[in-house]
Amino acid sequence: MSTDQLQRSPAAPSPPPHSPRPPAGSGPRRRRSDRFLHRVFVTPSVLTLLVLALYPLLFIAAAAFSRSSLGQPFQEFSGLENLRTAAGDPAVQDSMVLGTGYALGVAAASTVLGTITAVALWRSVRSGAVLRTLLLLPMIVPPVIVGILWSFIFSPSGGLIDTALRQFSSYSGTFAVLSDTSWAIIGVAVADTWEWTPLVVLLVFTALLGQDPEILEAAQIDGAQPVQQFFHITLPTIAGTVAAAFLIRLILAFKVFDLVYVMTSGGPGSSTQVPAYLIWRAALQNFDVGMAASITLVLAVVVTLVTLPIFYLTKRLRDD
Amino acid sequence: MIETAEAPSSSLVEGAEPPPPRTSPRTAARRGGPRPRRTPGLVLSYGWVALSAVVVLVPLAYLASLSLMTQGQISAGLLLPAEPAWQNWGNAWNSAIPRGIANSLAAAFIGALLTLALALPGAWTIARHRTGGSALSGLILSPWLLPPVVAIIPLLTLLRLLGLINTLPGLTLVYALMNVPVAIWLLDGFIRRIPVEIEEAARLDGAGELQLLFRVVVPVLGPALIAVGVIVAILNYNEFLFATFLTQSEGSQTVPVVLAGMLSERVQDFGRIAASSLLAVIPIFTIAVLLQRHLVEGLTTGAVK
Repeated sequence: MSTDQLQRSPAAPSPPPHSPRPPAGSGPRRRRSDRFLHRVFVTPSVLTLLVLALYPLLFIAAAAFSRSSLGQPFQEFSGLENLRTAAGDPAVQDSMVLGTGYALGVAAASTVLGTITAVALWRSVRSGAVLRTLLLLPMIVPPVIVGILWSFIFSPSGGLIDTALRQFSSYSGTFAVLSDTSWAIIGVAVADTWEWTPLVVLLVFTALLGQDPEILEAAQIDGAQPVQQFFHITLPTIAGTVAAAFLIRLILAFKVFDLVYVMTSGGPGSSTQVPAYLIWRAALQNFDVGMAASITLVLAVVVTLVTLPIFYLTKRLRDD
Repeated sequence: MIETAEAPSSSLVEGAEPPPPRTSPRTAARRGGPRPRRTPGLVLSYGWVALSAVVVLVPLAYLASLSLMTQGQISAGLLLPAEPAWQNWGNAWNSAIPRGIANSLAAAFIGALLTLALALPGAWTIARHRTGGSALSGLILSPWLLPPVVAIIPLLTLLRLLGLINTLPGLTLVYALMNVPVAIWLLDGFIRRIPVEIEEAARLDGAGELQLLFRVVVPVLGPALIAVGVIVAILNYNEFLFATFLTQSEGSQTVPVVLAGMLSERVQDFGRIAASSLLAVIPIFTIAVLLQRHLVEGLTTGAVK
């Protein structure tokens, strides 16, 4: 500390302009105490990681290899039995296929729609604060309410779609989206896309605002057509953000639970039984924590396999 | 981009340009950056934006309309109430909803404050001093990757040990911890935008690390802290899964749990549920509209470089 003050005092000769800045915390004593403080600062974060990641991970691993119920975990060691049962169970396999398809579909839909909306928004209103807040609304509606809202819209007795069909077409049957085995998951996906596309819009819109104006101006002066400008300048600058948005959206979609819980409870049959819902049922309806833990491990493998390539793609696009 | 407390950082997202005067396209392009020329594509853009606004607003308007209809009017397939059935709102107000909203707000905001207190020192140290190395910064977001269902049973066991099960403080504590990774991730983007020179100057003036954090970093980060705090509070307010398991007793239930309970009643009263949903959304919409600049700033900071 004293050396710092010395160098700052007017009496001390000012350092020659090209000499490197004096090291920030000079003296070994200060550096050691700083390092100690830094460790103190990081402690809450590390503790959080331990409570939120390591402890559940160990718990799940232990539960997967033992017979465990909700009240009495770790009753006896059962080896690979749970995992073998989970991986071989057609219901689990179906759920993983459903979950992966759902996540990829919903992420793709949100990313495409969100990117188009962001570009349209950017082309028509440069700042668009009011519109942007408006378009943001679905994201801050609690998912439980989003589920309720779309259940009403899809309701066959007086729902929005049902009513609109009756009033504006000659349709007279009942179209019950959420109680149809092949349409129910699409109904959930529509609600999910409605809720989270605004996030993509926001991320891409900001990336568009962050473009270097000079490059685009130069291209305009050089006579580049709007379409050329878009594909050669705009698209490359937002590609990394679009990929990152897809990745975030994919992870969010793999976690969908509230919407399924409120809209379909996994049904009809098992047609909307996404992995998170299946795990919830195993653990908190059947109280089989060992099985729930094993399904979780299977899901972890599936999520990793699906997201890893996209993760690396995103990284490459963003580092460019 | 130098962002300081004097120049609120929200200007970054508001658009780097001053409000563009409507002059010829050329000057507009020069002043306001890359403004695309007027082309047929522009009509398409306006059309698409208008369509998006409709897609966002119609469902919400429908919910408002439902909240003013009796069950009979809904079944009859009306889109707008013939005469507003205000009793739905009265019924919503005289239910467990207001208490649920109060519980949600308390858990959301106290949880968010705790999250910030836990995350800020860590975020700053990890961003500036690489304490914990790449391992820590890489692992920070890992709890966010898997469905939160995974953590429920372990956390349930932990809360039982602490005697906090079925209490609002227990849920608040879980919320506080749960968002630390996201808060660190968001704060990282803001911290990297603070010019290192400010911190170096303070260090040369003899500021210790603690002073640096509280006298320099915190004031400069002010708007960012609000942004992250609001986002975390919204996440908490909307959370359902943990709330439904960790608050089984009626007095501690948050508003999403109360609403989900209404859905599982044998006879569903659409109008009352719609009014209750809107009642639950009002606080969070108000906060979002009042703080929209901060909110947007926080959500996009990860993408802005």
